[in-house]
Amino acid sequence: MAKREIPEINAGSMADIAFLLLIFFLVTTTMDRDQAYIRNIPKKIDIPQDATEVEERNILAIRANSQNQLMVRGEIIPNPDDISEEVIEFYRKNEKQNDPTNNFPMYSRVGMQVIKDNINRIDAEITSLESQDAPVEMIDFKLNQLKEWEKKRQSLLLYGGEQLPEIHFQANIRIEVQIATDYELFAKIQTEIEEAIYELRDDEAKRIFGESYATLKTRFAQDQSKEDENKLNLLDILYPARIIEVTPKK
Amino acid sequence: MSKFKKDSSKTVPGVNTSSLPDIVFMLLFFFMVATTSKEVDPTVSLTPPVGSKTTDLTPYKQRSEIDFLYLGKPRNSARAADFKLGYALSLDNVVQATADELYATTMVGQWKRDKFEEKKGRVKVPIESIITCVKADKGAPAGLIFDIRKELQEVNGLTIAYAVRDNGNI
Repeated sequence: MAKREIPEINAGSMADIAFLLLIFFLVTTTMDRDQAYIRNIPKKIDIPQDATEVEERNILAIRANSQNQLMVRGEIIPNPDDISEEVIEFYRKNEKQNDPTNNFPMYSRVGMQVIKDNINRIDAEITSLESQDAPVEMIDFKLNQLKEWEKKRQSLLLYGGEQLPEIHFQANIRIEVQIATDYELFAKIQTEIEEAIYELRDDEAKRIFGESYATLKTRFAQDQSKEDENKLNLLDILYPARIIEVTPKK
Repeated sequence: MSKFKKDSSKTVPGVNTSSLPDIVFMLLFFFMVATTSKEVDPTVSLTPPVGSKTTDLTPYKQRSEIDFLYLGKPRNSARAADFKLGYALSLDNVVQATADELYATTMVGQWKRDKFEEKKGRVKVPIESIITCVKADKGAPAGLIFDIRKELQEVNGLTIAYAVRDNGNI
C-alpha cells in the first residue's frame, strides 16, 4: 500500500480563535480587586442588659452629623484627615506613663507571674467544672479565657522585658453617625481609624521585629506560620482595634 | 548603466503570521491571570468612596465566603423619587422594586439566609463569618447601612465589609 500523504492542518484561523477568547476575557473581567473594611456586628441578645458604665476617658467618640460635620471627643474637626492623629494620641498618651489628670485611657502592666497564676487558676477551674458536669457554655467560656491568657504569655515572651503594657479593657473607638450622613464620610472615618492603627502597629513591628506590619501580614496570609501568628497577636494586644458603630436614632 | 536595476519580477514576500496565535495566547493568559471575574454588573449606578489600608477580598471570593450587596442610585433617574432617600438596594442584580419592598424587614435577612443555604456543603465556615460586602455610593446615607446591619444581625450574619476603592499608595 502506498504511503499516504497527511495533509497539513490549516492553522490560519487559530489567531482568530485566540482573539475571540481574549476579547471574551477582557469583557468579563475587571482589573481592580475588591477592597473593603471588614467589621463585626455584635451578636443579637434577647435579654436587654443594663449598659455598663464606661468612663469618659476610655471613649474616643467620632461623631458626624447630617451636614457631614465632624466632632471628635467634643471638639469640632474641620478636616477629616485629622482624625487619625486623634486616634494615635488616644493610644499613645498614657502608654509610657499613666497620668491620672488627663482624659485618656489608662494602661495596665502585667508581669509574667500574674499571667502564669491566671493560667493555673483557670486551668484548675476547668478541671473542677468538668468533674461537676457543668454546662458546655460555661466550660467554653473558661477555655476562651485560657486562650486569651495563653496569647498574653506568648506575647510577653516576644515583647521582652518584665511587663506587657495593655490599654484599659474598656477603651474603645465609637463611630456615631446620623441617618443622613454620607457614606463617603462614614468610609473616611473608617479609613482614618485603620490608618492610625496601622501606623501604631507598624511602628511597634519595626521596633520589635525589624520588619513592617504589612510584610508580616502578607507573609502570614501566605504561609500561616505559628511564629507570625504570635507576632500579630502581640501587636493586636498592644493596640487593639475595638470599634463600636452606634446605630443612629430615628 | 545603472547597477540598481529594478527587478520588476520580484514581489513583496508575505508576512509570516504563524506566530500570531502564540502572541495572542500570551496576551490571553496574561489577562486571565491578572484579572478577576466581575461578580455582577450592578443594576444601580454607584461611585465608591476612596480609602486606604483596606483588606483585599480576593481570598474570600475564591472560597465564596462573601456576598455582595449594592446600594446606589437607580439607573432610571426618574424613578429615584420612588425610593426612600433616593437610593435603591440591589440584591443579586434585582433592584428592589418599591420603597416598601426596600424596607421590608426580611428582605436582606431572607436573602442572606437563602444565599447561605445555597452554599451549604461548599463553605466550611458558619454564617457568622460569611462576609456581606456592602458596595455603596459615595452619597448614600449611612442610615441605610445601619438598616442593613440590623437585618444581618437578625439572621446572625455578623461580618460586614464596607467597600471602598483603594487609592493604592500602600
